[in-house]
Amino acid sequence: MTMNGTPPGTPLEISGVSHWYGDVVAVNEISCTVSPGITGLLGPNGAGKSTLLQLAAGLLAPSNGSVRVYGESPFASPGVYARVALVPEREALPGMMTARAFIASRAALLGIEDVRGATQRALEMVEMDTAADRRIGGFSKGMKQRTKLAAALVHGPSLVLLDEPFNGLDPRQRLQMMRLLEERSHEGMAVLLSSHILEEIEGVASRILVMLAGRLAASGDYRTLRRLMTDRPHTVRVRSSDDRALASALLTSPVVLGLDLETTGLIIRATDYTSLARALAPVARAQGVSLFEVRALDESLEHVFAYLVAR
Amino acid sequence: MSAPTTRTVALSRKARLATSLLALVRLSVARTFTPMLAAAMAALLLLPMLFAFAWRANIPSDADIAQLLATRLDQLILALATPVTALLLGTSALSAEAEDGTLLYIVTTTTPRWWIAASRVLFAATLAALLSAGSVAATGFITSPSEDPANVIRAFVVAAAFGGATYAALFTALALLVRRSLIVGLVYVLFWEGILSQTFPAIHYLSVRQWSLAIAKRLTDAFDASAAPGPSVRVAIIGATAAFVLAVVLGGRKLHTPRITRIGT
Repeated sequence: MTMNGTPPGTPLEISGVSHWYGDVVAVNEISCTVSPGITGLLGPNGAGKSTLLQLAAGLLAPSNGSVRVYGESPFASPGVYARVALVPEREALPGMMTARAFIASRAALLGIEDVRGATQRALEMVEMDTAADRRIGGFSKGMKQRTKLAAALVHGPSLVLLDEPFNGLDPRQRLQMMRLLEERSHEGMAVLLSSHILEEIEGVASRILVMLAGRLAASGDYRTLRRLMTDRPHTVRVRSSDDRALASALLTSPVVLGLDLETTGLIIRATDYTSLARALAPVARAQGVSLFEVRALDESLEHVFAYLVAR
Repeated sequence: MSAPTTRTVALSRKARLATSLLALVRLSVARTFTPMLAAAMAALLLLPMLFAFAWRANIPSDADIAQLLATRLDQLILALATPVTALLLGTSALSAEAEDGTLLYIVTTTTPRWWIAASRVLFAATLAALLSAGSVAATGFITSPSEDPANVIRAFVVAAAFGGATYAALFTALALLVRRSLIVGLVYVLFWEGILSQTFPAIHYLSVRQWSLAIAKRLTDAFDASAAPGPSVRVAIIGATAAFVLAVVLGGRKLHTPRITRIGT
């Protein structure tokens, strides 16, 4: 164990992993690692995200390659679940049980000594302590999501695999869950988070994995990925005291690939941000134009994802 | 959403076994006793009692009550109520959990897989045994309230408990191994136990109903001595033991790669 209580080694290491369902290749030659912190797992429906999560959780054996959780194969090794938790996308839970009884059952099956205390802490963590003694069958979707998260975190795992955890949560609950995951990741927990809500991944994930048709299309910090896409012009909106004069002056700049004068400002398509930023201020000064706003329009995760999917 | 949890994974094996089994039983109870399933089991077990009221009113004064009871308890309980009740108990929880994905919350724990399989087998077997035995006792009491002729009721209480437990073990394993376990189980009960094991004497040795009858025959003289002898009690006990061991071993192995329909929506 390290100083902050997390076990040593890489939380999740996937090397050349493929998985077939009959003739269908769900995951194809994927290699990646998940370190402490939050890693976003993105991809359109059917990209193989859920299969990758099941492989990481040891519920499926890879057809090829190897999966290692803190250096051990998670497949057919129940001991690995002392460190790993999986939160599935499906909201199905035993409806006849109360949230407290369900989480306590999981705590007992995980071998926790103080089942009652751990259950109470997990319920408080997701703010379900007041509804804990009600039957799960009567819960809203958001309450079920929080119950699932409490059941996953009850034993303090150091690697958490989450499949669409924000579904059904209201904005306040989403924010709280994101904060909780951020806090835990700062304490050393590794989180692999699959979500189709890109703004949320963008808000919490330090790194992303993008899956397309079973393959890993890209991995890393999405801003870095965006800068590496040199075949895609970077789009910037500039509002200034004289957009037309600025546009005329910028036309000769080798950095600028195209310009559009719109009512909302001047839209510039450039080869890269850094060169444009360096060129823009001297040109504006030379023309006596004041710059009010310079805003990148396609550096968000959504744009990076859209560009990757469109390739 | 801020209080951190603490990890306390340090129980003795005995304490661990006790708390895990208790948790597994709680989960089994929650998944088994759905209103529809409870109603189906109640109907199955009450049916022989309703028939018993009809028999009692129509029993001729010179009838051999022991033999009549033996025949009726075999046909209504050992051949129908017991296997179908055991089928419902053995398959309902695991099939539902695999289908809706909640099995995931059980298998992603540090509890050894064979403990999970064994607890499910024992839970279903105990309940099937108790309910079948209760149904026999109540049916026998309604038919013959003042006495137990030739100890036939006692013999069938034991036989039904034995049969219920053995069937439940088989059907729990079936739920882990095949997708449509309820249908496969019904086909088995109707064709293998209901028709084939009655038609071909060789199959007696592979029939839970015939094993149960072997137990009953050992405990009562109500059966026709000229009838086919069937398997011995030893065969019945070996068969039942094999069914239990097979269910736990196969179930434990199967739970390493659980047949969870999907973890996504």
